[in-house]
Amino acid sequence: MISSRSIVVRTGIRLASPLALVVAGYLFFAGHNQPGGGFAAGLVLGAVVALRAVVGLVTPRRASWILALGGTIAGLVAVAPIVAGHTLLDQVVVETTLPLLGKVKAGSALVFDLGVTILVVGLIVAVLEALDVYDLRSRTSRSVVQSDGARVDPARVAAQPTDTESIGAPDDAGIERGGTR
Amino acid sequence: MTVWLLLALHVTAVVGLAVGGRRLTSRYAVFGVAAIAPLITAIWVASRLTSDDPYVTSITWVGQLDLTIAFRVDELSALLTLIVSGIGALVFVYAMGYFGPTATGLAKFGATLLAFSTAMVGLVLADSVWTLFVFWELTSITSFLLVGHKHPDPATRYAARRALLITAAGGLVLLAGLLTVTSATVSGGSGSVGLRDLTPVGGTAGAIGAVLILVAAATKSAQVPFHVWLPGAMAAPTPVSAYLHSATMVKAGVILVLLLQPALAETGPWTPVGLAFGLGSMLWGAIGALRHRDAKLILAWGTVSQLGLMIALLAVGPGKATFAALSILVAHAIFKAALFMVVGEVDVRTGTRDITKLSGLARSMPIAFVVAVVSGASMAGVPPLLGFAAKEAAIEAGLKLDGAERVVLLGGVIVGSVFTVAYTLRFLIGVFGSRAPEADDADRPSDVAPRRSPITAVTVPLALGSVVGFVALTAVSNRVAAAVSLVDEKAATFELIRWPGLKAAFVISMAIVAAGSVLGAALARQTLRAPEPLGARSVDRLVDVVLSIAQRIARVQHGSLPLYVMTMCLVAASVAVPFVGDVDLDALVRWDEPMQAVLGVVVLVAAAATVSVGGRLAAALSLGAVGFGVAGLFVVQGAPDLALTQLLVETVIVVGFVIGFGRLGRSFPRVGVAWRPIRLAVAALVGIGVMTGLAASASRPSGTPPLDELTAQSVDTGGGNNIVNVILTDMRALDTFGEIIVLAVVAVGVVSLARAGRTTDDESATLPDEGAADLLRRAEPVSAGDRIGGTS
Repeated sequence: MISSRSIVVRTGIRLASPLALVVAGYLFFAGHNQPGGGFAAGLVLGAVVALRAVVGLVTPRRASWILALGGTIAGLVAVAPIVAGHTLLDQVVVETTLPLLGKVKAGSALVFDLGVTILVVGLIVAVLEALDVYDLRSRTSRSVVQSDGARVDPARVAAQPTDTESIGAPDDAGIERGGTR
Repeated sequence: MTVWLLLALHVTAVVGLAVGGRRLTSRYAVFGVAAIAPLITAIWVASRLTSDDPYVTSITWVGQLDLTIAFRVDELSALLTLIVSGIGALVFVYAMGYFGPTATGLAKFGATLLAFSTAMVGLVLADSVWTLFVFWELTSITSFLLVGHKHPDPATRYAARRALLITAAGGLVLLAGLLTVTSATVSGGSGSVGLRDLTPVGGTAGAIGAVLILVAAATKSAQVPFHVWLPGAMAAPTPVSAYLHSATMVKAGVILVLLLQPALAETGPWTPVGLAFGLGSMLWGAIGALRHRDAKLILAWGTVSQLGLMIALLAVGPGKATFAALSILVAHAIFKAALFMVVGEVDVRTGTRDITKLSGLARSMPIAFVVAVVSGASMAGVPPLLGFAAKEAAIEAGLKLDGAERVVLLGGVIVGSVFTVAYTLRFLIGVFGSRAPEADDADRPSDVAPRRSPITAVTVPLALGSVVGFVALTAVSNRVAAAVSLVDEKAATFELIRWPGLKAAFVISMAIVAAGSVLGAALARQTLRAPEPLGARSVDRLVDVVLSIAQRIARVQHGSLPLYVMTMCLVAASVAVPFVGDVDLDALVRWDEPMQAVLGVVVLVAAAATVSVGGRLAAALSLGAVGFGVAGLFVVQGAPDLALTQLLVETVIVVGFVIGFGRLGRSFPRVGVAWRPIRLAVAALVGIGVMTGLAASASRPSGTPPLDELTAQSVDTGGGNNIVNVILTDMRALDTFGEIIVLAVVAVGVVSLARAGRTTDDESATLPDEGAADLLRRAEPVSAGDRIGGTS
């Protein structure tokens, strides 16, 4: 796919990734007083992960672990106040003065939001895994070496859903499917 | 605090075993770890047993609904917890001997059994109605997992499903019953109704509540006609049967009836319905036990019978009958656990539980034989054992009644007890006796594997328990009386009597033993056709019908994406129908700002382009334009958070399209001629529906939004100036939590949908539903299936 054909896109995404991380971090912390928040930060991170996956850069894997981590963090924040004798999801706000940053105010909602962020990233990683993006990438980078037009990739044909859509498609995959039937 | 620490210890051990249990290679280590929490719990509650100062603790977890998790350790719950945890610890030791060195999956088994034990401890310690309900449901779920432990076997799966369907249905009935009772006792919020503070409920609500509670108890306690799950549950490994079907799971129903007796005993249906359940089960269970060949099924049916006796006694309570019921509950937990364990030992050491195949075990398994004789005698009500004293109390309770109740209860108890003696004798002769040498191959004594010391280490103390219980009868009697008095003050004056003298009750007792012995000896070698459980067919058919309806409903999942989308859109559009009348065209304004019109045109054009262009890439780009246009509308409307989220979602979707195009054709497939008008019609309907909904919503007088209030609240409690986010993460954090759980579920759904078509289906994953019921019936008399993996 894009990975082997366009070094520009690949390099661009690689360079943009740290920037996007900063943006995500900003959105995450800004959400308290300005537009942003955990969900938005998670979407930015997720988009970066998806782009990196498409061009074959290193990305987080194992969606189940990420989902579990996010759910656990949010769940712990939800239950923790009960142990302390408060009600479910009670908010605790802490104010301290940190070096460099000055006065910082943070609540337990921030940790809860972190759980939301991680879970959103986990969802996108799960979708990427489900769509076999990682396998697709390694396979295409191999098959493109042969020629640019007719890619022979049996696994990809097998993975195609058997609905009417791909039969009518003037795609090379459709021709191969005819052979396998 | 102690209760919480104990529960935390249970949960820690469950999680530890489930996660890291595979590293424990020895079964001694696995079950040793599992036994710790029940053992400590048992020791602690034993120390609270004589304390008349109840220990109460509770945590409010939803303040607005007044929902609490509340526990109480008083004389009643301490006694019940001692049974649950004490037998639990013994069962884990027993499991060390029951499973062989080659058994696999033990960590999972130990974790599930301990999870069940935790649920049961919570159930007996519960102090509020809803705490009881939560743990009640937890026992249903964990027992389902335990019964289905050997899930590669289709008969086991069927049995587990049957148990779950019946007990879960009972859980729903219980919910309805508890709601009826609590709404009648407490006005307004019924969040935390203490189980010891229930007041009598009268009238129609009381009558309905009584029937519902009794039905719920009958499903859990395997009463006729809901008993069909219990014999099937014998498919579980024997430690499960020894635990669930002697001391815990089936007792939950009895405990429920006991706890709700103060509220419902005065209602009309309580006594007749309870007596019908109880005596019916007592008789039919005993008849079933007389006819089976599988020793474990004999005990299972005997359990149905004994539970019937307890329910019947509670139904005629309060007073002596209640006292007798709790006495029998204690005695039954001890002797039935020992008997199940002996059957498991016989199975493990000989390879069968079929009493027509076993022979000569009295000589080759002497310790097990003595344990079985003592425990069996206690079950039959032979002096000088605990079971005798308890049954005496039951008969005396019957004698104290008058009128029809006396005749019915006494008659039922006497006939049921005669049968009990008979099946006990048949069990003992069948399992341990030597058979007459008539069949050529089976006349020699059964081959017996070496003794396993953990089994002996548990069964002998349990057998001694029946003896010691009689020796220390005064102590047992005092504990039972103190426990019962918390529910029923009148019961405090009664006691268990060691030597009643030649009174009517004793004469009846001895007559029962004599008649039962004659019947049992006569039937001992009779091989009667193993009975269909009464109503088993109809319940099985009900299960089949439920499952086939479920499958038929599942056929709605036809697998056609266009049809799914059309269905969803039509349903969404039809939501607007009730609001058609609200549309007020005069109240609508063209736009708040001219920019909205411009953006609206952009969205419209982009939408039109999306459906009219031929190529997929162009369609995706047009769709993106729609999204960005909508985001622009949000900005103009003054909702930057919404716009930001919309933009980011659009971005992720674009990346998704980039990935998706790798596996799709460049242009859309042609739609069939017949489909085109249908799709157009659906699209038009959806458009009209959404428009109507929006117009109706815009027509409503909006009033002033509570902006100031929200701002103040958000800065005050949430500490943030962005109201939207403070609402999301603080004020409505529970909603957000629910939403992210939905996200996680969506992720699981996407992954499994995408993988469903790819992996070849595992053969065992598809259930042969039609034949499973017959398979189960065929499998019932078979035994020696009690091992996990390849134990021998």
